[in-house]
Amino acid sequence: MSLDKVREQILGIADQTLKYAKDLNIPSTEVFIYNLSSTNLTDNKGKVDSRDGLSLGIGIRAAIGKKIGFASTTGFDEESIKTTLNLAHSIAKTSPENPMFNGFVAETKTSKEGILDHVIPNLDAKDMIEHCNLMGQGFDSSDTRLVSVSYAVNISWGGYALGTSEGCLSSSLITTYGANSMVVLTEASDRKTAADFVLGREIKPVEGLTANAMKHGLESLGSKAFGGSEVLPTVWKSREAAPFLAFPFFSVLSGSGYVEKQNPWKDKLGEKVCVDDFTLIDDGQNPVQGACRAIDTEGTPKQTTTAIENGILKTFVFDKMYGEAAEMQSTGNATRGMGFGGGIPFESLPSVGPNQMLVKNVGKNLDEQIAEIDRGILITGTPIGLFTANPVTGDFSVTTNDAFLIEKGEVVNPLKSISIAGNNYETLKNIAVIGSDRETSGWPIDAPSMTFKGHTISD
Amino acid sequence: MSQSDFILDLLHKSVDQGSKLGVDFIEARYDDLQLTTIALINDIVKQSSAFQRKGIGVMAYFNGTPGYSYTPELNLEGVKNATKRAIKLAKSTDERNVMKLDFESIPAVKEKVVLDVKKHPKDYEFSDKLDMLKRGVSSIKEVLKPTSTTGAYGEMFGEKLLVNSEGTEIYWAPVMVDIRMGSVFISEGKQAQSFTGTGASKGLEFFEEKETTPEQTGTNAGKYCKEQIDAVAAPVGKQTTLVSPLMGGVVVHESFGHLSEADFVVTGQSPIADRVGEQLGSEHVTLIDEGVTQYGGLYLPYDDQGIKTGRTVLVEKGILKGYLHNRGTAQKMNAELTGNSRAINFMFDPIVRMKNTYFEKGDLSFEEALEKIGNGVYAVDMSGGQVGLDGNFMFNCNRGYLIENGQITKPLKNHALSGNILELLKHVQGATKDITIRTGYFGGCGKNGQGGLAVGFGGPNVIMDQVLVGGA
Repeated sequence: MSLDKVREQILGIADQTLKYAKDLNIPSTEVFIYNLSSTNLTDNKGKVDSRDGLSLGIGIRAAIGKKIGFASTTGFDEESIKTTLNLAHSIAKTSPENPMFNGFVAETKTSKEGILDHVIPNLDAKDMIEHCNLMGQGFDSSDTRLVSVSYAVNISWGGYALGTSEGCLSSSLITTYGANSMVVLTEASDRKTAADFVLGREIKPVEGLTANAMKHGLESLGSKAFGGSEVLPTVWKSREAAPFLAFPFFSVLSGSGYVEKQNPWKDKLGEKVCVDDFTLIDDGQNPVQGACRAIDTEGTPKQTTTAIENGILKTFVFDKMYGEAAEMQSTGNATRGMGFGGGIPFESLPSVGPNQMLVKNVGKNLDEQIAEIDRGILITGTPIGLFTANPVTGDFSVTTNDAFLIEKGEVVNPLKSISIAGNNYETLKNIAVIGSDRETSGWPIDAPSMTFKGHTISD
Repeated sequence: MSQSDFILDLLHKSVDQGSKLGVDFIEARYDDLQLTTIALINDIVKQSSAFQRKGIGVMAYFNGTPGYSYTPELNLEGVKNATKRAIKLAKSTDERNVMKLDFESIPAVKEKVVLDVKKHPKDYEFSDKLDMLKRGVSSIKEVLKPTSTTGAYGEMFGEKLLVNSEGTEIYWAPVMVDIRMGSVFISEGKQAQSFTGTGASKGLEFFEEKETTPEQTGTNAGKYCKEQIDAVAAPVGKQTTLVSPLMGGVVVHESFGHLSEADFVVTGQSPIADRVGEQLGSEHVTLIDEGVTQYGGLYLPYDDQGIKTGRTVLVEKGILKGYLHNRGTAQKMNAELTGNSRAINFMFDPIVRMKNTYFEKGDLSFEEALEKIGNGVYAVDMSGGQVGLDGNFMFNCNRGYLIENGQITKPLKNHALSGNILELLKHVQGATKDITIRTGYFGGCGKNGQGGLAVGFGGPNVIMDQVLVGGA
């Protein structure tokens, strides 16, 4: 089905479902119609698996005043839609009131939808195999340290429509392309994994991804024990700085956490929370990024929000209900299982989530940052444990075997597994350098390479 | 024609179509699963949701190469298209697929498995389930004055049907219920939180069992939160740790179980590939993966390739005995079928996953285990964690206690437990005699984009030396 047909179908079903809801005398209804086709192909050391399919479904919120019920179903057949409407309505009847709920989005208003790549729906498994071949170009598979190499290509296309009995009827479409290659290497007692990837709304060049992964993996072999425990500066490559910042920022910028008084920054609006040159934007309108949509998942137009400017906390991000509860307004941040955390969108209620947060570039590139370090640690792979930080205190302790020792401005040697401990909120005040070399991270946050002070390194 | 006969007919038509189009093997699966979630936060029903997941998935093998497609369109055209696409994928990728994981035919199985459930959740109203949460929350408030409370109820039931080109036809009706309770306390500069509860492959009668009534779960949540108010910092560094059934089960599942999944093994991605017969752990380490256990947990009679689940010994007295398999990896490695091919729903192909993974019991009483440790940490419950493909793990222990002179003395603040499972197994010093296995609607296992698959994990209390305790 072409993208134009997808839009026509989902808007038509949204409209039809609202008519059924009216016939069933449901006082207020919101319907979320989802249609996404996808194809995934993986090659793990010559073991090829492929999967395609069509995910169709409807999520329905029925409201009786402030009483809300939610039900969802796969497929678009009339009987299932009517059953789901009745189910959502019956749940609403027996649910207590939600005092914060103040109705569904009432207007049809849209923002930029973002780039659509009309070639993606026409790619087939043979094309995707060719992309795997391109990823492997220029890579030496004869290296005896290579244990396995894998390739993956994922594509999807489709969209969602949102309709409410109050008068909203909008849609947003998307195409996505992702490709990655991973190598596993061993040497003596060292076992290292390295990967490279591309991700976006359009087909991307993939040549050399495996060679890049191999280069990084080989550099990581020959690791030495750190030996001891020291407080040192840590330099994080762009793709590693992003997930490191994800956990604190998703917590402290949450409008739902602010309203529910669980947000550690709930009393810090207008206050200095980071170093002076730190600016963080939540961007739902960059047309090349996956987060760019015409509407969020409850029908509010997506937007770009400056959350932290020059170190000052300017706002939190909200969906409609929490925005109104905070006497502010939605920032277009209603997500349904599409952002961080995953889940099936049409089975998910709207909740507050990031679009694409990004830390603005400031000054020095990675090499310049390394050159300024007398003794410190370079982090080149996402540590494990980032999401086990204490959400209240911000204390964290993570481990990685993707790190290098820096001495006198030079990268000296790779390290065996180390732990890095500190406090997330203190870290934001201890940023030594914000870099100039931001890459796509694959997370709902992108950041340039960064240097932090005050982390405890031990093994 | 009844709806179930109609679906069975669709599945057979898919299989017939595949056989005519020259594939070696084809299977068609149908899911009709209904899930309900209720979230009661600060006495407000924040979520009351019902989901229906209904659709068909088709797996075709051509020359040992798989292709999978799915559809939610339950009509002949939808299923024919999915079948055609699955076969096309298998044929299109065959040339590149150099690691063939084909398998020999096995005798057909025709079976219908329906759990004996006394109080099926489908027979009870939404208000009955909400009432259980309210009772649980009331019990929290009897223990302390919380700043906020959370009660969560989840249920899943429905039908699964599998038909394949060998003539196998399996009907299976899973049921699962779950209740969790949590509380947060913030006052006068002190902060504490708790979250506890469990589920079972049972009906609502599970919440009438003494240990798992809503009241008991609520009381536990209140008690664990209250303990945290004046908890002390965990001793950092390498500690001898008594790991609870839940904590040990999760550590083994996440950090060892995944390494034993044969799809990681045949591709060389697992660090325990080609190491069967090697002494990986101490003599106290015996690790099991089982579909239906005498200790409860997840009830899983068949996997999603129609293979009866069995009891797989992964490690026996420290020696690696085998891996977890689907039909293809079992044949490639000349191993027994283990029934570990599972899919979260019809939108995914079955891949190698765990069932109930647990430490086998030891011979110590709980008191003897504490005495043996002397001074250390008792790690009971966790809230999240991460693992690497190299066996490294990191878990956040949100309920733990200090062990001093063989006695549990003080509750500990949240702390991180980390290490490498392949190192840690060498430092297992013993286990208690009793086994507990848990499962649930909430949480679950994630792999290859298939998150939230219900699994079971547990064991006895296990003594592990050299666990790195951090201060998160």
